Amino acid sequence: MPPTLTIAKRELGSYFNSPIAYVVICLTQLLLGVLFFFVRNFWQVDKASLASLFELAPFGLCLLVIPVITMRLIAEEKSSGTLEMLITLPVRDWEVVLGKYLGALGLVAILLVSTLVYPLMMFVFPWKLGPIDFGPVWSGYLGLTLMSAAAVAVGLLVSAFTKSQVIAFFVTLVVNFFFVFMHWIGDHVAGPKLGLVLSYVGFQQHIANFARGLIDSRSVVYFASITVVSLMVAFRALESRKWR
Amino acid sequence: MSTEVMIQAEGLTKEYGDYRALDDVSFEVNKGEVVGFLGPNGAGKSTTMRILTCYLAATRGTAKVAGIDVFDDPLEVRRKIGYLPQRAPLYQDMSVWEYLKFAADMRGLDDATFRVRMKKIVEICGLAQSLGKDIGTLSHGYRQRVGLGQALVHDPPILILDEPTSDLDPNEKAEVVKYIKQIGKDRTILLSTHNLGEVEQACARAIIVSKGRVVADGGLDDIRAKSGGARYIVVVDEKNALSGKAPTEAEVEAALKAVPRVQSLRDIPTDDRAHAFELVGGREDDLRAELYKLCVEKGWIALELRREAKALEDVFRDLTRGDELVSRGLAAEDADEDEDDEEDEESKD
Ligand SMILES: Nc1ncnc2c1ncn2[C@@H]1O[C@H](COP(=O)(O)OP(=O)(O)OP(=O)(O)O)[C@@H](O)[C@H]1O
Ligand SMILES: [Mg+2]
Repeated sequence: MPPTLTIAKRELGSYFNSPIAYVVICLTQLLLGVLFFFVRNFWQVDKASLASLFELAPFGLCLLVIPVITMRLIAEEKSSGTLEMLITLPVRDWEVVLGKYLGALGLVAILLVSTLVYPLMMFVFPWKLGPIDFGPVWSGYLGLTLMSAAAVAVGLLVSAFTKSQVIAFFVTLVVNFFFVFMHWIGDHVAGPKLGLVLSYVGFQQHIANFARGLIDSRSVVYFASITVVSLMVAFRALESRKWR
Repeated sequence: MSTEVMIQAEGLTKEYGDYRALDDVSFEVNKGEVVGFLGPNGAGKSTTMRILTCYLAATRGTAKVAGIDVFDDPLEVRRKIGYLPQRAPLYQDMSVWEYLKFAADMRGLDDATFRVRMKKIVEICGLAQSLGKDIGTLSHGYRQRVGLGQALVHDPPILILDEPTSDLDPNEKAEVVKYIKQIGKDRTILLSTHNLGEVEQACARAIIVSKGRVVADGGLDDIRAKSGGARYIVVVDEKNALSGKAPTEAEVEAALKAVPRVQSLRDIPTDDRAHAFELVGGREDDLRAELYKLCVEKGWIALELRREAKALEDVFRDLTRGDELVSRGLAAEDADEDEDDEEDEESKD
C-alpha cells in the first residue's frame, strides 16, 4: 500500500479508536431522526425531494462536523510530537498532507452515506411514500461531497498552522462561517453587484444548484480549486518547519 | 572492517531565528561503529539528529547518510535509518501491535517479513505482554520500548537513537545496551544519552558537543587522555581535629586550593560530619603526598584520601563546564559575554 493510503487508513482508524467518529455519526442520525419524526414537512413527502436536507446540511457540516473532524489533523501531531516520528518515516511531506486529508474526508464520506438511510427508508423501502426522482438526490450528494472536500481541505490547512486544536477548531469555524454565509451577506449587506460576486464565492448557491439536479462545471471547478489551493498551502506550512 | 563513512556531517549550522543552536558541527561515523553522542542539555544533540533524519534543514552545511545527501534525497536517507526521537512520541490511540504494523507498512515491509522481525523485536524490547495494549495506557518506559521497536522494525543499517534508554528500568537498559553493542558490529549507530556508563559499555567512540560545537571526538581512551587530570577525593572530619579547632569548610577549601598544581576543586555532598572535596590535578602528578602532608600540618583528621582514575564523567564535566556555569547563572571565564548569551537563550524559550 502506498504511504498516502497507509496514513489515510491510520487516520480514519484513529477516528474510530476515539469517540469522535461515533459521536459525530450518532448525533447526525439523532438530529435527522428528530427532523424525521417531529418536523412535518422536512422531507416534503408530497414533492418527494430532499431540498430541505440539502439546505440544512452545509450548516451542520461546515460549522460543526468538519471543524471537529479536522482540528486534530496536524495540530495534535505537532503538540504531541508524533509529527517527528511520522515525517522521519520514508514519506514525502505531500503524502502526509494528502493521507491525512483522505482520512478525514473518508469519515465525512461515511457520515454522508449514513444520512442516506432515512430517505432510502422513506422513498424506497419499506415505506415507498412517493415516487422520487433520484437525479437531484445524487447530484445533491455530489454537491455535498465536493463542498466537504473543500471544507476539509480548509480545516487541514488551518490545522497545519497551529499546535492548538482549540484554535484550529475556531479558525476553521470562522472561515467556514464566511463561506456558508457569504450568500446571505451578499443579499443583505452588499450592493447587488458585489452581492453577485459574494454569492459566487459562498458555498450556498453552488449547493443549491446541485440540489436542483444541476451539475454546473463552474461549481465543480470552484470546490476543486478551494481544495487544491488549501492542500498546497498546507503542504507548504508543513514543510516550513524545516527552516524555522 | 570496512571504513565506509555512513554518517557525515560537514559544517552543520542551525539557527532558530537568531539563536544559533548548532555552530559548524562536523563529524563522521563509519560503518560498524557505535558512537555515543554526548552533551549537556540544550547542546544541540537532538537538533543534529533531526537534521540527519531530514526533519529539519540545516541553515548551513551539509550532511550525508549512507553517502546520500539529506537535502537531495530525504526519502532514501530515511529508508536507511531507524530513528527514535527523544521521548518517543507515539500515537496514543493505537495498540502496540497496530503501531508497529503501521511503521512496517509505511516502510513497505510485507507481512511475512514483519512477523519475522516482530519476533526479534518482542524479544529485545520485552514487549510480549503489551502487544495488545493501547499505547496511551503504557508506562513511559514501555512507550520507549515501543519507540525503539519502531526504529528496529525494518532492520536498518543505520540507527539514530535520541536518548533511547532514558526511561528504561535497569534490566531493560542493560538488555538494550547489550543489543546495541551486538548489532553495532555491522551497522552504524549514533546514540545520544546522558548516561555515561552506557557509553563506556556500548561505544568505542564518543562525540561530545557543547553549546552547538563539537568539543571532543574520538575513541573513549583518547578523550579521557586529552582532557588530562587525575581526580582526588579528600574527606576531612568536621567535628574533631588532632590539634586545635575543627576546621570550617571555608578553611579546608582555601587550603586545598592553595596546594600547588590543583586545577579545580568542588565540594561533594556528605553527611554533616565531614567536609568532602573533589579536586583535579595534573595527569602525571600524584598529589596524594602533598594532600596528606597538608592534613597533618593543619592537624585535620583525614577520613578519606584517594586518587581515582579519570572517568568519562569527569572529562564530560571538564569539557562542558562553560555551559554548566552559564546555566547556573555563575560567572565563567568570559563572564559578561556568556551571561548575555544566557539571557538570549531564556527569552527564546
Ligand atoms: N524549535 C526550536 N525553536 C527554537 N529553539 C530551539 C528549537 N528546538 C531547539 N531549540 C534550541 O536549540 C538548542 C539545542 O536543542 P536540542 O534539543 O538540540 O538540545 P539537546 O542537546 O538535545 O538537549 P537535551 O539533552 O536536553 O535533549 C536549545 O538551546 C534549544 O532551546
Ligand atoms: Mg535532546
